[in-house]
Amino acid sequence: MGTVHARSMDPLPMHGRDMAVHPDDMIEVQETEQETKQEILENKDVVVQHVNIEGLGRTKEDLLGYEISEVFDAKNLIDVMKKSHIARQKLLRLGIFKEVEVVIDTSDGADALPNGLDVTFEVTEMKRLTGSYNTMVGNNEGSMVLGVKLPNVFGRAEKLTFQFSYGTKETSYGLSFFKPQPGNFERNVTLNLYKVTGQFPWSSLKETDRGISTEFNFPLLRTNHTLKWEGVWRELGCLARSASFAVREESGHTLKSALSHTMSIDTRNSAIFPKKGALLRINQELAGYTGGDASFLKEDFELQVNRRLVWDSVLSASLWGGCLFPIGGRPSSIADRFYLGGPTSVRGFGMYSIGPQSEGDYLGGEAYWAGGLHLYTPLPFRPGRGGFGDLFRTHFFLNAGNLCNLNYGEGPKAHLQKLVECIRWSYGAGIVLRLGNIARLELNYCIPMGVQSGDRICDGVQFGAGIRFL
Amino acid sequence: MSLAAEAFVSQISAADPWPENATLYQPLGEDQILLSDCASSLAVQAYLRMCNLPVQVCCRPNAEYMSPSGKVPFVHVGNQVVSELGPIVQFTKAKGHSLSDGLDDIQRAEMKAYMELVNNMLLTAELYIQWCDYNTAAEISRPRYSSPYSWPLNHILAYQKQWEVRRKMTAIGWAGKSLEQVYEDVSQCCQALSQRLGTQPYFFNKQPTELDALVFGHLFTLLTTRLTSDELREKVKSYSNLLAFCRRIEQSYFEDSQAGSSSRGFSKGPSLF
Amino acid sequence: MAAPLELYCWKGAWGLPSVDTDSLIVLAYAKFAGAPVKVHKITNPWRSPTGVLPSLKTTEKNTGSLSKPSNIIIHLRKQKYNADYDLSAKEGADTLAFVSLLEEKLLPALIYTLWVDSKNYVDVTRRWYAENIPFPLNFLLPNRIHTQQLDRLRLVRGDPTLEPGEQLEKELYYDALECMTLLSQRLGSQKFFFGDSPSSLDAYVFGHLSPLLKIKLPNGKLQQHLNSLDNLRQYCSNILVLYFPSEDREPTSHNVSVHSESSDFDNEPHKRRNQILSVLFALGSMLGYAILTGIVSIQRVPQAAIAGPQHTESRGEEDEDE
Repeated sequence: MGTVHARSMDPLPMHGRDMAVHPDDMIEVQETEQETKQEILENKDVVVQHVNIEGLGRTKEDLLGYEISEVFDAKNLIDVMKKSHIARQKLLRLGIFKEVEVVIDTSDGADALPNGLDVTFEVTEMKRLTGSYNTMVGNNEGSMVLGVKLPNVFGRAEKLTFQFSYGTKETSYGLSFFKPQPGNFERNVTLNLYKVTGQFPWSSLKETDRGISTEFNFPLLRTNHTLKWEGVWRELGCLARSASFAVREESGHTLKSALSHTMSIDTRNSAIFPKKGALLRINQELAGYTGGDASFLKEDFELQVNRRLVWDSVLSASLWGGCLFPIGGRPSSIADRFYLGGPTSVRGFGMYSIGPQSEGDYLGGEAYWAGGLHLYTPLPFRPGRGGFGDLFRTHFFLNAGNLCNLNYGEGPKAHLQKLVECIRWSYGAGIVLRLGNIARLELNYCIPMGVQSGDRICDGVQFGAGIRFL
Repeated sequence: MSLAAEAFVSQISAADPWPENATLYQPLGEDQILLSDCASSLAVQAYLRMCNLPVQVCCRPNAEYMSPSGKVPFVHVGNQVVSELGPIVQFTKAKGHSLSDGLDDIQRAEMKAYMELVNNMLLTAELYIQWCDYNTAAEISRPRYSSPYSWPLNHILAYQKQWEVRRKMTAIGWAGKSLEQVYEDVSQCCQALSQRLGTQPYFFNKQPTELDALVFGHLFTLLTTRLTSDELREKVKSYSNLLAFCRRIEQSYFEDSQAGSSSRGFSKGPSLF
Repeated sequence: MAAPLELYCWKGAWGLPSVDTDSLIVLAYAKFAGAPVKVHKITNPWRSPTGVLPSLKTTEKNTGSLSKPSNIIIHLRKQKYNADYDLSAKEGADTLAFVSLLEEKLLPALIYTLWVDSKNYVDVTRRWYAENIPFPLNFLLPNRIHTQQLDRLRLVRGDPTLEPGEQLEKELYYDALECMTLLSQRLGSQKFFFGDSPSSLDAYVFGHLSPLLKIKLPNGKLQQHLNSLDNLRQYCSNILVLYFPSEDREPTSHNVSVHSESSDFDNEPHKRRNQILSVLFALGSMLGYAILTGIVSIQRVPQAAIAGPQHTESRGEEDEDE
């Protein structure tokens, strides 16, 4: 008789595949509100007769069929509401709709059943072309960033983005094309074309990369896999006249053509302040067999385990490690090696300032490991609880790690010994601030220990911002 | 580093004696190095030998990018890196080794002028022949320049370099010249050098100076390099006193074989390309 | 030899027969060799036969018109106007060498100080060229030459990121000062470089040095050094007096300098007036826009409705208009 609008009740906006909120969290909120009606509605059997989508322009319908097909299986009204909610989130995840509204109505028409329901998704497509223009001011450099995005180019959730940055010192650009498999959003293909310049003052090095890459993501059982081929033309140069000769020797042009594979399992409930779950990422990269100058095999892994303790505090342990094997007798390039140290890895040390160095320029190493143990607690006395205060945490940490070059002629015992001698470690405490769902800021007081000659330390207060933290 | 700081550092290093492990870097001798780079490198090697300063020659494919000024050769002495003959002469002078101390003012002016003559005419002509002459660029320069790199980087770098040199030629007004005119310029330059040399053993009578090293570097390379045509070599050969001059320097200073790949003597035929 | 040769050059100023180095070289050589050329002093490069200045128009069928100084001098030599006739072979070689020295060491600094150094370029060079080149080229040409010269410096030094600044200036001027000192040493106390009669080398040296001597530049480090080398200064003035007496009119240069001074003086009250006018104009247009779009409105309260001391409702507090 009446209409039921199942509107969005989510406090956080959702967008495409970056969505970090798990659908299950939302269902909890809904259920508590509907409890009173649940008794009445649960017993009533319904049949979903039609599922419509209104408001389509350029989107092809066959793409959407997969997302909404499960709604047909609902048996009672609560089920219909749950499934249509899930379908709504799937539609939003495609990244081609600005808004999706669900309207559940009793069915009418010639073939209407007495307990039949019609579910209609009213969608608003995104505009064909969106542009953005920013200006950024950084270290002695200003730049103008122009972005253009075309969501849903051919009607099946393909996305084309172009970003161009014009700065006083450098220009860079990137063009990216993303295509998911219809019905299986988790499987997708991305093509990238880019030019990026970077300056690394800790090595007195500047690097310009021009490259092209293709990436194929797919889930397998409970893991996520990524297969990628990348071809990069790298141009290395000295940042200053006073760069060390070891860095000067690396200047010039190289071509790297590499295949890589990444496997990741992420059962954490959030990327930034996880309360439970674990993350395991294993990555390997093989360069040289598909052309190019650089020739190596690179392995690295990342492991993080979180466990909730009493009083809202969380204990988190993480371990990183990696190894680079040059193939064919050519020495490894400074741009491929690992770096360690800084506010995002072993705290208390200068940015990437651990390990082999020459005249003050850090050259990186071919093998490393790093571990961290953190205890996160909410702010003392919990100011701003439920709102702003929840973005902060205090943490106490213990970090350790080592970076060195291995002599691959010796056996694994010698390698292990080398990695274990001269461990750098540090401990301290600080405050962490969460930025959205992807980044965090840290302000720590660190005490570095086990410092070797040549390392640069950051004793005392250290500030860090980034995406990936030890 | 600012110029003042650099001057300060070079003053400090001037006090250090010339080390044993001084190294000169140039592109790969067999496959990569081109006419102009070979001439410049040979000039620096000749100069250092004339000063009796030991230096090892090290070949790297990325020597051009390692150099602080983008030009080869460059020397790594202690912890200083100095490129091109002019700055290297000044650097050795700061360390107390100089070949031109015995010259008076007028002779020094003439020496500098003739060095600029070689740079202005011979070096530019070499660059022109390598990169602006279609045949030489396609058959010799581009393949050699790009030999250490893999596809497609080799083509990109070779064409980039060619384009850059052509722009430079346009900027200094050489783009309109034909190959014949360039050969004529080389001939004129050799004539001037021949006139100045006359019958003396070296340009300033008894002792060699940096001018002799520079002239030797360029002329010897022109005489021993196989290009698409022999015309240039014949033109240089026609000045007998220059020929004798090159032979004299080769015998005096490069007799202990090595000297890169140019020691096999030009009487036997070209050895560089 | 019978057909007259026509030479197209840049106009002169500041007591010089021409403001451009290449034109000076050619003019000086023509005078030294006694070549009867008809000189056209123009300021529009498009009017020259080859599109650049200087350029020599010959009536020979094979040669047509020539543009670079070296080509022009070679042609004049072929026509038997040879200022180098008396030189020995060694002196001929020296000529080549010193010309190369000038081009490698002095010319980049000269280009920098006239065309790339910001203060000099804006105050002197661009002003002169903009005032003297006919419309509409005077908007395009100076800027184009400026960019061309900066590009040329970049290519010659091999550094595409070169920017005008102290570092570059220091390096270029160091070379130029050394070059000038060497020239001075070579000249010694002679009247000309090879004895008593001038040759092509003298033409080149004159062409490069006299602009530095005569053009008054705000940033004049090169000028100072040149002035300290007495024999070179004397040498240039000598050539000017002997071969270009008509240019060396004091009144002309005086006029030019007085004119520039007075124009500077005149600019002051103009500048103030322009500033006030532009501020008024900006204010007026903002007000006009505000009133027209209704952001600010001036209401007229009808006279009859006012009874007693009521304040008028004019929210717009200003009442001026343009």
